[in-house]
Amino acid sequence: MNSVVLESVQKIFRPGWLFPRATRQDTYALKGISLDVSPGEVLGFLGPNGSGKSTTLKLISTLLLPDRGRVLVNGFDTRSDAQAVKRQVGSALASERSFFPRLTARENLEFFAVLEDLPRREVASRVMAVLCDVSLEDAADKHAMKLSSGMHQRLGIARALLKSPSVLLLDEPTRSLDPTATSNFWKLIRRLSNSGITILLATHNFAEAAAVCDRAAILQRGELIAVPRLNDLSVEALRDFYLDVTGEQTSPLDWPEGVPA
Amino acid sequence: MIIAKAMAVLRKDMLTAIRYRNGFVFGVVAPALQFATFYYLSRAVGPQFRPEGMPYFSFLIVGTGFYTFLLAGIHSFLRTVQESQQTGTLEVLMTTATSPATLLSLSALSAFASGIVQLLLYFCAGVLIFGVPHVNVIGCLSVFLFSVLISAAIGLFAAGLQIAIHKGSAVLWLLGSTAWLMAGTMFPVAALPARLRIVSGLMPFTHSLTAMRLALFQSANSQALIREIGILALFLLVLMPASVIFFSQMVRRARQFGTLSFY
Repeated sequence: MNSVVLESVQKIFRPGWLFPRATRQDTYALKGISLDVSPGEVLGFLGPNGSGKSTTLKLISTLLLPDRGRVLVNGFDTRSDAQAVKRQVGSALASERSFFPRLTARENLEFFAVLEDLPRREVASRVMAVLCDVSLEDAADKHAMKLSSGMHQRLGIARALLKSPSVLLLDEPTRSLDPTATSNFWKLIRRLSNSGITILLATHNFAEAAAVCDRAAILQRGELIAVPRLNDLSVEALRDFYLDVTGEQTSPLDWPEGVPA
Repeated sequence: MIIAKAMAVLRKDMLTAIRYRNGFVFGVVAPALQFATFYYLSRAVGPQFRPEGMPYFSFLIVGTGFYTFLLAGIHSFLRTVQESQQTGTLEVLMTTATSPATLLSLSALSAFASGIVQLLLYFCAGVLIFGVPHVNVIGCLSVFLFSVLISAAIGLFAAGLQIAIHKGSAVLWLLGSTAWLMAGTMFPVAALPARLRIVSGLMPFTHSLTAMRLALFQSANSQALIREIGILALFLLVLMPASVIFFSQMVRRARQFGTLSFY
């Protein structure tokens, strides 16, 4: 069985009478995309801002509901079996502000671990294990408000790993990390993938996609235009392929983060 | 597992409260000042004013103390959603294995728990001044339980409104002020004009306060107490399922519209 299945998924953001929105026009965030992801696969969503990467991840995480089509995680529908999906999906989609600032990194994770139904006796060891996974063990007793952006980023990933998810969703996971932390993070991704976890990550970064992803789902204005295999594909080859299929004449200036020079 | 979650929420809120040191100190001092205010207010009004047959100070303590306790509980539902939206934790909390309604109810536990401490302090101070009243313990506990559950239901409505229109606090402020005026917090409902008394009767707070006063100070009047508890049970029967459905629908709509973290 596929880990994640998207069947003709359409997502439209509409201005509603009860939910005031700045825009008065419907926004077609996803225009009927279909995709299967195998267990243990690392799939990167590649595309510029507004292409639908984060929307896709939020649909899989149950934070959003599709307007048409359906999203399945290990056979569970995100619309009708949201609780079952939540138990299997770990997400690091939020901003770095998503921690309780006056609690330490460890206390934050202990709180979320209990909410994830981890048995009480396993909480402390599990929290320490995920802190070690993201190399934050030395910052365990620092208040969240005193952590750097990169540390917040890693803490968010540690939180996503707490429940030992079978599917991990990451939204631009290395955007605040320095080169060493980025390199360590890519190793962690490979290690998690080898242990059978399916990983879906949204990225602007060709180098990241080439380094860790088995396939890249290239999105453009809410449409899935190609899903190439990236086996041993170089960064340059991936970028050339991207420019070719999207028809864009992009330059490094269009890609503010992570574009190889 | 639910107890472990409740303990985790209490611990989180306690640690946060303690680490905001100034706020913690003010939170302890403010109720003492409020208590003193009521004491001197009742002295200024004089002993001849005995609303519903009890000293005005006792009337005030139950009216304001219990009402404030219930309102703080309701506010905590709203505050939990508001703070989660502002700190960016709402989406993370919504993706945990704990359902949103459970999470909110557990968060309200902290507010009720800290409110109980304040309420007990009020009660003890009242006992020191006026001696031990003939309390109908079972009646008192029943009123307390029904009132807390009704507040939780109203809190869920408020949280749903916050998710839906992002201005749940305005609606709650209106409700709180109306109840403050009409529920018999500082003066008896009998002082209101006939039409407002009808509105007052439709508010669960009115019955909570009346029933609590009956249970604490007029334990002999069990008929009236049973009637008030019956009315509270009826409110609970209607409000609780309605609030759960309303909140779930609002969360679902927010997931559909993508506005879960908007504020």
